[in-house]
Amino acid sequence: MSSSAHAGKSKRHSVVVSVTSKPEFNMKRTSISGTSSQRQISHASGFHPSRIGSLSRRSILITSDGKTMDKGSLIGSKHTIQVFDEQGKDVTPRPLYRPEPSASLHRQSKILSTQDFSGATGSDFLSSLSMHQTSGVNASLVGPFSRTYGSSSISKSTTSTTESIADEIVEPGSRRDTAISLSDVLVRREEIKEQLTKEDIDKRVDIYLTETETIWLLDMPTVMVSIESEDAEKVKERNKDYIELCKNRVGNDCFVERMMQTLNGAPKNKEVQCDKILMEDKGIMATSWDLYDSFNALETTLAPSVTERSSRPTSLSSSKSNVTKDRERTMSITSTDRESITSSSIIDLESVILARIHEEEEDHSEAILKSEKFQQDLFFMERVLMENVFQPKLAAYRQLPVLIEPVLTSDAGKEEAVTEEAEEEEEEEEGEEEEEEEEQKEIVVGSSILLDLSEAPEEILPPSLERLWSYTCELTNGHNVSCMAWNKLNPDLLAVGYGQFGFQEQKKGLACCWSLKNPMWPERIYQCDHGVTALDFSLANPNLLAVGMYSGTIAIYNVQTHNTTALLDSSESFDKHIGPVWQLKWIEQDRGTTGDDKGEILISISGDGRITKWLIRKGLGCTDLMKLKRTASERKKLTGEKEKKSEALISRQPPGMCFDFDPRNTNIYLAGTEEGHIHKCSCSYNEQFLETYQAHKGPVYKIAWNPFSTDMFLSCSADWSIILWRQDSLRPILTFSSTTNVVHDIMWSPKSAFVFAAVNEGRVEIWDLSVSTLDPLIVTFANPGVKFTTVLFARNTDCILIGDSDGIVSVYELRNMTASDSNKVDALHDIIGSALAS
Amino acid sequence: FRPCPIATVARRESRSHAGDSSCASLAMAEVEETLKRIQAHKGVIGTIVVNAEGIPIRTTLDNSTTVQYAGLLHQLTMKARSTVRDIDPQNDLTFLRIRSKKHEIMVAPDKEYLLIVIQNPCE
Repeated sequence: MSSSAHAGKSKRHSVVVSVTSKPEFNMKRTSISGTSSQRQISHASGFHPSRIGSLSRRSILITSDGKTMDKGSLIGSKHTIQVFDEQGKDVTPRPLYRPEPSASLHRQSKILSTQDFSGATGSDFLSSLSMHQTSGVNASLVGPFSRTYGSSSISKSTTSTTESIADEIVEPGSRRDTAISLSDVLVRREEIKEQLTKEDIDKRVDIYLTETETIWLLDMPTVMVSIESEDAEKVKERNKDYIELCKNRVGNDCFVERMMQTLNGAPKNKEVQCDKILMEDKGIMATSWDLYDSFNALETTLAPSVTERSSRPTSLSSSKSNVTKDRERTMSITSTDRESITSSSIIDLESVILARIHEEEEDHSEAILKSEKFQQDLFFMERVLMENVFQPKLAAYRQLPVLIEPVLTSDAGKEEAVTEEAEEEEEEEEGEEEEEEEEQKEIVVGSSILLDLSEAPEEILPPSLERLWSYTCELTNGHNVSCMAWNKLNPDLLAVGYGQFGFQEQKKGLACCWSLKNPMWPERIYQCDHGVTALDFSLANPNLLAVGMYSGTIAIYNVQTHNTTALLDSSESFDKHIGPVWQLKWIEQDRGTTGDDKGEILISISGDGRITKWLIRKGLGCTDLMKLKRTASERKKLTGEKEKKSEALISRQPPGMCFDFDPRNTNIYLAGTEEGHIHKCSCSYNEQFLETYQAHKGPVYKIAWNPFSTDMFLSCSADWSIILWRQDSLRPILTFSSTTNVVHDIMWSPKSAFVFAAVNEGRVEIWDLSVSTLDPLIVTFANPGVKFTTVLFARNTDCILIGDSDGIVSVYELRNMTASDSNKVDALHDIIGSALAS
Repeated sequence: FRPCPIATVARRESRSHAGDSSCASLAMAEVEETLKRIQAHKGVIGTIVVNAEGIPIRTTLDNSTTVQYAGLLHQLTMKARSTVRDIDPQNDLTFLRIRSKKHEIMVAPDKEYLLIVIQNPCE
């Protein structure tokens, strides 16, 4: 023992290991394996910076034979081995590993303690440990040794144990050692130092070997097959064969055990260097629309494949190639463009290609501009711009609260605005409306009115007209607005006809369709050779617009398309009008008797004295409803009046100026002539008039039935008067003459039975019969030099449109009109009655 | 090295362009007119049309401003479109309006171009 120790010591060169162990202890104790505390770093160097761990502190006592005394003779209860080199420096190697003290500790101690080491020999212990190690099943056992280094060290140590002989001091599980040493540091276990006595050595030590549970590495359970199954026979056969085979195997020549040794060829190392693999990071955010798109793209490429399997790969590739080609084209265009600038192409071929690509590039940008989508976007953009500018007006039109734009002008501007507001307010209260040019002021006015209303809710403002905006553009400047009509389906679509009234002023006219959303440019412009004098939208086909002209031509346009040529034209038909078409109307009529076409017919009245009905049957065909005849004017015998000579007639037929169908019975209609007579006619009779109302002294320009009380109708004429008639009375009921101007147009309000609007040259009058039958409710004056010519009520809002002789259609809002809820017809009759009585 | 096919292709292309020119020029005229109207509209500060790569096709502003607007609005449009489509992939962005203190910027986006109009509505 001591000799070996000495031998060990002698092996150490230039290293001084101070072992603070008790020598006699060394003699007595034979520490093995885990308990051994010396470390073997390397065989060759023989450098033993051994640190005797404190394994020995555990209650592990291993008694060994003399043989084992060779190993691990150096034991110490508590050794701290310090290694000093020649210079005396402390080169004590520190453990490379500091295991977790917590869990492994406990187990470890347990492990070591569970094994009854007392009787085990060193090698036995080692082997048992190693056995356990290799089995590696019992987790708890493996615990601290589970670290590979630990196990390897153990295995290493085992081999070293077997190999090493006396001189070597084995220290298996160096790491383990340290672990244990650490555990030693952290957990102060009980230190039981047992001194080996002679008796102990001779004592009988019981070694208990226990068997661990069976570890199944492979379990192939037998397959049971029922006798009744189909395979039963086969299985039985197979089983029998197998048994036979096993039996025969034993001495059979077929089965010979042979052993072979594989010849391992000499390996050769070959080194290869591969190209550097370039790595590129690419990130993409998988958004849900991205997934949706890819999925759809897949579907669309697969869809054609369903129909044609054979062409699937081609379609796929073609679609992909199209896409890629487009992209490539755009990409390549840019790249080649740059190239073309820099490079100089000499060969014609190149120049041709480049020219083509250049063309393509130009085309590409042109294509963008020409594309439909772009045009559409422009269209929308224009409307959006309009909306921005006209928003307060449009809101007022729709009777929505007006959004007051936050005014960002400087303080000076604000003051200006305030003063303007004040001015406006005053004028507002007077009930007169001022024509304004700048829209900024109007915004202010709008806001001022709103403020006004909000500030003084009790103050009742008189009814007034508020100008909102006007439909005008450079095309229409200078033209006279002759007629206006709303679209029957879309109440925001307005058709306006431009044409001069008089014979001398005739020039080319046009018909425009304006949309509410764009007051600065009409949606459709139809240029006509002659002035447009009448317009109407169809009810059955709301896209058809009938236009009547000064020449007597009637044209029908389809406003759905952008096509500016007429759908139908009456210039070729036989019985076309010779005189200007003064009014057009689409009338719904049941044609029960003929059964031909139920529905709509176009009726026109013209200056050649005919009222004709037009049918759309392969072109415009017409039949006359009525030919107006001159009626002898019945003159009251007035004293002192001399009889006039009968005038020489140019034509037997007086020009018809206007007509209106009875809203209840579309068979009956009224026609006004240039003579001043109003004839009541029926569609069934085209020879005779039913009635004639004579009161006007000049041409009757407009007749309008009251939409609520169909007994009443209104007529206006060039004799400065407006007459209210009742159907059954040949004498006028009421006459309104407030001006000395020709009254061009009248219209009943669609909302109230008492209200109607009249336009004479200089002003617009709104009459409310419930308020006064003598004076108009609201009077608005025209700009000097401009004459009002047409008036139209808006159906869906309280606005009125007024056309003038300068081509401007202004939209006015009726404000503060009292709404009368009383039973309209009766009230009207009452008024009439009172008027009659007075 | 076969020059012929490519040359013939080029000729064919040019011919087809000539054929389309009449209706194309009509459409172009209308587009030009509408663009002019928009540019002349009240309060409009500038109109820009850029293609998908950010190259301006038509603009009424100076180059640097145009390029700036185009680049920034392109990114914003992408983001807006992504937002709209994330919520519902079948939806798509049709119009984008940005109201600021001084102006309103209106963008009509498309796969191939961006139509940008800057308006000062208070003017």
